[in-house]
Amino acid sequence: MGGHAPFGRLVLAEWTKLRSVPRWLMALAAVVGLTLLVAVFDKASDSSSDAEEGEPLEEPDFSDEFHFVHQPLTGDGSIVAHVVSQEDSHEWAKAGLIMKERLEVGAPYAAVLVTPDHGVRMQWDFDHDVAGSDDGAAPRWLRLTRSGDTVTGYESADATNWQRVGEVDLDNLPSTVEVGLFVASPDAVVIKRQYGSNSVNETPTRGEAVFDRVSVEAAGGSPSPRDGEWSDYDSADEPEFGGSSTESGGVFTVMGSGDIAEVRRPFGDDLVELSLSGAAVGMLAAAALGALFMTAEFKRGMIRTTFAASPGRGRVLAAKAIVLGGATFAAGLVASVIAFLVSQASLRNTSRTPGLPELSLANLTVLRAVVGTAVLIALVAVLSLAVATIVRHTALAIPLVVLPLLVPSIVEGGLPLSVENWLTRLTPAAGFAVQQTITRYDTAIAPLVGLGVLAVYVAVALGVATLLLRRRDA
Amino acid sequence: MTPRRARCLRRAVRAEWTKLRTVPSLPWLLAAAVGLTVAGSAGALASVDTSQCPSPSECFEDTTKLSLTGIRLGQAAVVVFGVLAMSSEYGTGTIGPTLAATPSRRLVLTAKAAAVTTAAVVAGAIGVLGSLAAGRAILPGNGFTSANGYEPLSLADGSTLRAAAGTALYLGLVALLSLGVATAVRDTVGAITGVLALLYAVPIVAQIVSDPRWQRRLARYGPTEAGLSVQNTMRLDDLPISPWPGLGVLAAYAGLALLSGLLLFQFRDA
Amino acid sequence: MVAAMDATIEVRGVHKRYGRTTAVDDLSFSARPGQVTGFVGPNGAGKSTTLRIILGLDAPDEGTALVGGQRYRTLRTPLLHVGALLDATAVHPGRRARDHLLWMAQSNGFPGGRVDEVLELVGLTSAARRRAGGLSLGMLQRLGIAGAVLGDAPMLLFDEPVNGLDPDGIRWIRGLLRSLAAEGRAVLISSHLMSELEDTADHLVVIGRGRLIADTSVRDLVAAASKDQIQVRTPGRSEAMTLLANAGATVTAGDHQTLTVSGLPAERVVALLGERGLPVMEVTQHRASLEEAYMELTRDALDYEAVAVEES
Repeated sequence: MGGHAPFGRLVLAEWTKLRSVPRWLMALAAVVGLTLLVAVFDKASDSSSDAEEGEPLEEPDFSDEFHFVHQPLTGDGSIVAHVVSQEDSHEWAKAGLIMKERLEVGAPYAAVLVTPDHGVRMQWDFDHDVAGSDDGAAPRWLRLTRSGDTVTGYESADATNWQRVGEVDLDNLPSTVEVGLFVASPDAVVIKRQYGSNSVNETPTRGEAVFDRVSVEAAGGSPSPRDGEWSDYDSADEPEFGGSSTESGGVFTVMGSGDIAEVRRPFGDDLVELSLSGAAVGMLAAAALGALFMTAEFKRGMIRTTFAASPGRGRVLAAKAIVLGGATFAAGLVASVIAFLVSQASLRNTSRTPGLPELSLANLTVLRAVVGTAVLIALVAVLSLAVATIVRHTALAIPLVVLPLLVPSIVEGGLPLSVENWLTRLTPAAGFAVQQTITRYDTAIAPLVGLGVLAVYVAVALGVATLLLRRRDA
Repeated sequence: MTPRRARCLRRAVRAEWTKLRTVPSLPWLLAAAVGLTVAGSAGALASVDTSQCPSPSECFEDTTKLSLTGIRLGQAAVVVFGVLAMSSEYGTGTIGPTLAATPSRRLVLTAKAAAVTTAAVVAGAIGVLGSLAAGRAILPGNGFTSANGYEPLSLADGSTLRAAAGTALYLGLVALLSLGVATAVRDTVGAITGVLALLYAVPIVAQIVSDPRWQRRLARYGPTEAGLSVQNTMRLDDLPISPWPGLGVLAAYAGLALLSGLLLFQFRDA
Repeated sequence: MVAAMDATIEVRGVHKRYGRTTAVDDLSFSARPGQVTGFVGPNGAGKSTTLRIILGLDAPDEGTALVGGQRYRTLRTPLLHVGALLDATAVHPGRRARDHLLWMAQSNGFPGGRVDEVLELVGLTSAARRRAGGLSLGMLQRLGIAGAVLGDAPMLLFDEPVNGLDPDGIRWIRGLLRSLAAEGRAVLISSHLMSELEDTADHLVVIGRGRLIADTSVRDLVAAASKDQIQVRTPGRSEAMTLLANAGATVTAGDHQTLTVSGLPAERVVALLGERGLPVMEVTQHRASLEEAYMELTRDALDYEAVAVEES
């Protein structure tokens, strides 16, 4: 008799095993229960809370602060300048050319600029950003051309060969707009260590840039009537950090602080992540289940029956992984959906971050976080299955799986942020990144990349486990 | 205690000690506890230096506490150790011969507790000494010199001695807690998962709970944070809970676990 | 050996329920010193439960179990009074054989040398330093027996002692058990196989479905089962069967030319057969095997009866 049992039958057999042991079903229930624990707890303790100040003030979600050396331009035309140098005051400090509808906070604009660390960029309307050349830093030539409602940005190394960076159609652009040089430098997050923990602050920065060979041309190439008459405009928030400019022989030295962009909230509460954070507790039950599911075979000697044919052992492990992963994914999904729905309201009430949007499962980012949490729990269970296969002792497998997942949380606050972030990136704990929906000062790794790191650990563990299963005697 | 009772206890402890030392995995777990503690401490020490502070003398770093950070890793090995000391008897069936040889459940549990705690405290002491040695070696290189206001770590210093002794005791209490939980639930996996959840997950929950009252409560009465309060040598007035009372909180957890374990042990079928 | 108290194992009116199943139902019997008492019953009859209750591992819902007049859990050095082997596999696989006995000895205050004595007694001296996980079932059984005799106790309990032993081992343990009893100890062995007790036990306690079925000496049990049965060997077997059946006897065929006849005295059977001219080669009083007696007794109490295969 040759051949192995068809894979589908193996999977069914493993599913029957899983659902027939009450203790294991309890572990699945514990996954759900523990994940929900915090969410429910929060909700319950929130009932006492505040019919406070009502709705938080609506803050605008963009920032429009910079120093502007400008003059009006009527009709089609362009502005060209050579950015000689830019101070590295912040990785996203901006120095370049901007066309702004009018001198008012929030007015539409288009800009082409250089940054110290992110190359040349073209940006408009606070949330649009196009990258130019990666290594384009000062010194660089920049040009902004207006034609009707269309504004186009160009860059060049030598003023001869121009590459187009981007093009935007600004609706209903008035015939006269303000054009000129601008410098901005966003707030920097500074982390210092004191009293054994990280103290985190946002401090304003001021950037400086030097421009020369500045010229404004009306359509047709003739110099604009007002060439030479420049004005200063500054919209920085902090008076001490107000910008300034000086000009000498056509060389402009401009200083400015602030940012023209969407508001970044490095300290904002990530409500979705907070509502799902019970998964850190629920995954303990998933790890326990994963280990049990395998070591039960070793204990009862069932492994000899299950593994009658040596090459089939890898398939049995695969069948187990599929069944276990599916069951824990389902449990995790139930838990994360309920956790999200239950705790949203109470988290918004107690959060001190302004301008938090109403979130729902219809939002793709939220959905990614919720489903990702279920995937995370399933991956932890399968990781535990593989590790238990390798070490053959449940008692040993569980700490080996759980500790690396929790290490970053264990050291949180006590060690420098950079160390904590490296621990997060390199350990299976990276998987928790999938729960993040905003980028904060302490974001260590991108959500799906983090989940990928965990997946790699799982894949490697499964590979080693399969190898060992085939080599060893049952 | 009557001479006869003392003799019974002595014999029981001797038997439990033999059990602990004759199963290879148990001594290895203690060695792992020491190793993880020292490695964890060394890692923590290497990652902190005075350049991260506003200025070297403004670090206000509790160097003793930093040097003893590794216990947070080492305790996992002690949890497994403490749980296995009881749950392996049920797993292998040796609970039968154990109770046949020593029918008094209270005596069995007392003897196990004595043997397990002693072993854990000794392991803790070794781990602590290793951690402090690492501190003496690494700290000056990272700017924590006496010129900047940081004296080298020394057990002659009263608060360092308290932190060190308290940390070793902490490990003993973790072992007792694990033993108690294992006696109550009899199941290796359940006990280990439960104690690990208690020790590691509570601080995580404390971070994410939004109600500040509960955050404070968890910081004061969570077993890990309360128990490790004894490692603080600075700003003692600002702590959520004072050093020795913190250790007392952990002792209360351990005592509760042991008591429930004992009650179940006595009145349950083996 | 401690002889101060009357070394009898006594079970009185013990009830034990697990959930809805009654494992032991109003069981009372004694195992007296100087005898090997066989505790017999089909699988699941409640033997192991009873032994665990005697050792204080499980508590009975009603009734008491006493060893030497005391409850096991009140003994301070129990190994001096009672030695037991319930489960030979109840050893930590990572522990060396000698260390397994060592902690037992230490718990009751025996010197380390005693461990080496009992190891030699059971023939495990060479395996003393091997880890229990590497011992065969037979060696584990002998290790368990060593543990039982560690305290030189006057009362001994063995649950399925011949389990896993080869014929030599079985013979050895039979001899050991008999000699232990001959020294005046009370030896209680439980088994579900009657054959192994045939030459070992003096007294039998038969249980089925948790209830006592018989509490008697082996001799009496066999005699009762053999009552009125004559074994006849004759060549004309089928004819003889019909003849005797017609005369009112119950006849069953044995092997070859043997018939087992009950209901008629021996003289009548011989006379009947002689009238017909059927030669009678042999006439003996049938001695039922313990197996047969036991089967007879426990037929109703068997929980798991195999379905008889129809012979065509």
